[in-house]
Amino acid sequence: MLSRKGIWLLIVLSFMFILAACQSNDETPNDESNNGVTEEEVNETENDNTNAGNTNDNEEVNNETDASSESGGEVTVGIEAEPTSMDPHNTTDGNSATVQSTMFEGLLRFDEDMNIVNVLAEDYDYSDDATEVTFTLREGVTFHDGTEFDANVVKENLDFVRDSENGLARSSFFSFIDEVEVEDDFTVTIRSEEPNSAMASYMAHSSAAMKSVDEIEKKQEDEDYNLDREGAVGTGPFQFVEWRDSEHVIVEKFDDYWNEEELARVDQITFRPVQEASTRVNMLQTGEVDLIFPIPTLNAAELEEEEEIDLFTGPTTDVFYIGMNFENDKYEDLDVRQAMNHAVNKDGLIAQVLDGYGTIADSAIAPNVYGYSGQPIYEYDVEGAQELMDGSEQSDGFEATLWTRNSTEFISVAEYVAIQLEEIGIDVEVQAYESGTLFDMLDAGEDTDMWIGRWSPGTGEADYGLRPNFASDRVPPNFNNSGFYINEELDEMFDEALATPDEDEAMEIYAEIQQKIYEDAPWVFLHIPDAIIAKNRDLVGIYVLPSGAVNLNLAEFQ
Amino acid sequence: MIPILFIITIIAFLFVHLTPGDPIRIMYGAEIDQETYEQMREREGFNDPLVVQYGRYMYNMAIQGDFGQSYRTRSDVSEEVLRRFGYTFILTILSMFWAILIGVTVGIISATKRNSILDRLGMISTITALSIPEFWFGLMMMQIFAVQFGWFPTSGSGTWLHLILPSLTLGFGVAATIVRFTRSSVLEVLREDYVRTARAKGQKESVVIWSHVLRNALIPVVTMAGLQFGFLIGGAVVVEQVFAWPGLGSYLIDGILTRDYPVIQALILLFSFQFLLINLLVDISYGFLNPQIRYE
Repeated sequence: MLSRKGIWLLIVLSFMFILAACQSNDETPNDESNNGVTEEEVNETENDNTNAGNTNDNEEVNNETDASSESGGEVTVGIEAEPTSMDPHNTTDGNSATVQSTMFEGLLRFDEDMNIVNVLAEDYDYSDDATEVTFTLREGVTFHDGTEFDANVVKENLDFVRDSENGLARSSFFSFIDEVEVEDDFTVTIRSEEPNSAMASYMAHSSAAMKSVDEIEKKQEDEDYNLDREGAVGTGPFQFVEWRDSEHVIVEKFDDYWNEEELARVDQITFRPVQEASTRVNMLQTGEVDLIFPIPTLNAAELEEEEEIDLFTGPTTDVFYIGMNFENDKYEDLDVRQAMNHAVNKDGLIAQVLDGYGTIADSAIAPNVYGYSGQPIYEYDVEGAQELMDGSEQSDGFEATLWTRNSTEFISVAEYVAIQLEEIGIDVEVQAYESGTLFDMLDAGEDTDMWIGRWSPGTGEADYGLRPNFASDRVPPNFNNSGFYINEELDEMFDEALATPDEDEAMEIYAEIQQKIYEDAPWVFLHIPDAIIAKNRDLVGIYVLPSGAVNLNLAEFQ
Repeated sequence: MIPILFIITIIAFLFVHLTPGDPIRIMYGAEIDQETYEQMREREGFNDPLVVQYGRYMYNMAIQGDFGQSYRTRSDVSEEVLRRFGYTFILTILSMFWAILIGVTVGIISATKRNSILDRLGMISTITALSIPEFWFGLMMMQIFAVQFGWFPTSGSGTWLHLILPSLTLGFGVAATIVRFTRSSVLEVLREDYVRTARAKGQKESVVIWSHVLRNALIPVVTMAGLQFGFLIGGAVVVEQVFAWPGLGSYLIDGILTRDYPVIQALILLFSFQFLLINLLVDISYGFLNPQIRYE
């Protein structure tokens, strides 16, 4: 008796498991516990597998694959991490900016060569003293919600974002603005208290995007309205459809886009966050995604061999450096700092650690940053470096600790540098920390010795590239001058450059600043990594901004 | 259970708040200035004493049923946890199905055919399965079955096909553990007097194994499987990451890396609760498997 019961129990148990498993399989698409993964999604995933879309929904799309004039279809993009917000005013990360750039536009933007071009503005003019810039706006632009774009929209947006009460991440970015004045329906003037020749380049930044005033009003009326997730109403060629955490962000073609020549060529773009780089590579190989970035340098070399895949590389605006703490006597002597710069073989670093995907940093900012001026680099010269060390206050060498983030990329750079510094008698111990912890340690500023850093100016121009790292008022707990580098001469020059209305003159000052910094060697200047993007060969019309953001607005299948 | 959960809320809260790292700094980097940073801290209430923050957290959670909003993606944490729980649950069930199917079968075969080739083979495979890192194994499965053969999608979610590779990857590791447990447990029971008695009675070997041996041998296996289930239901961090499966494991990792306090706290609480619950269920199931086990 007992035994029979036992058998039954086992059978029932295993049936339960099978049943549960089957059920979950069958019901995945609509299961409640899944909160209703929609039909669309199933279709879309199937599309991924067949690359251009073979489901009923997309019959037309299929028929058109050979006709290049009117293409269509859906692009799927594998990105490294999930966006954090759909609100350009509350975003500082590249993934979010890439997704947002399909939906939002500003008055101006940067093109591939970092030139400022008009978008929602038709023209702009500085006043003679560079305290005012007046924009003539484009007429006939509508937002995705049907509202009209005009001067008032610009004022509402800028006033909303710069009001620190609203707690937006970009509020300080717009702190240069003193007043926004609507001159008439399509003319608007931005005033700053101090002369500021960088105003146009600020307005070309992705965070100076215009969103529908309706959304701003919703937020003003209801404190709980979630602009980050719901407020994605811009004027761009694509409009927001859906954002599911860890799954996708979907945007679809906006038919009433103002610029008929640049109407979206594809019907939909799906962004899928896939953190594991090898998985992104696999997905591209199977055709589940059409475009992936970023890619580890090792995989890049491998993908370059593939027939069906195109690889794009181009320098980013990131500068890798070794910072050092000036409160520590070891680094007081210029000879020591220059010796350290000479001791590191930058070519070797790029060839061995980056598989060749990078360039030497010949300034504290990258060539693609507005206002960059290259310097003669510190040539790799161990003997020269040793001589400098011998003649310095630290002729016996010293011990140092090098903090790094715990990602492979950072650790391998740190290890490489450590080995080379040992050649000139600097005994470096590499310590890796999770990045959040490392930020905390640097901001505390108590035990900092050497650390490996990476800096990219979010604004794409020199002031933001230099000031946070070298201005006296940016030492901990403020960021990002974690090495307590104090140079009053530079402090004055930063302000002077900003206050110079003439752009060429301003650029000259920035060039001088960069020369002084490079010669004073507060960092060991390392390299500028390449942005690597891989795509399905049939997908065209994509370009990469120097900031590393990918522009997909004109993507289409050949 | 309630007092334990209460203590867990305190531990979870202290754990996340005492970990170095600042959510705002991590999220926005050095792109925001000191003033904005301070305002954001103030807005999130980080400048209040920990006791006040804990009180607010408990009030919102216990009284309002509000687990807060993720700092990272600004989505509602309780909704998100619920949604992801579905994904993790399905993945867990299917993985456990593979694990038990493979584990118990191979375990019994290994034990009854002890020292045969089959047994050796089984033992070698389990040791291998146990030693292979999930991470690598997952990528290999993907490489072979998705990239080379194209039978399954490489990653993501949406259709039931998306489930197969991650669940197999997860299931194999667990299966290996179950095989070893089943084998040793069956071997032990085979030595018992009542098994000899049963055989002496002249019962068929299959009856002996099924009704005498297995019932007793499976008890430690069930404990083991329950524990494994407990681990898996907490989200399989590595596998979810590799296969971009939107479950709780990847949520936890993202949460920890960005110091997304509301997310981490909610998940710790959920996982603890699950463990308590599973332990209870395992205890109850003993009674079913062997009615001699009774609780006062």
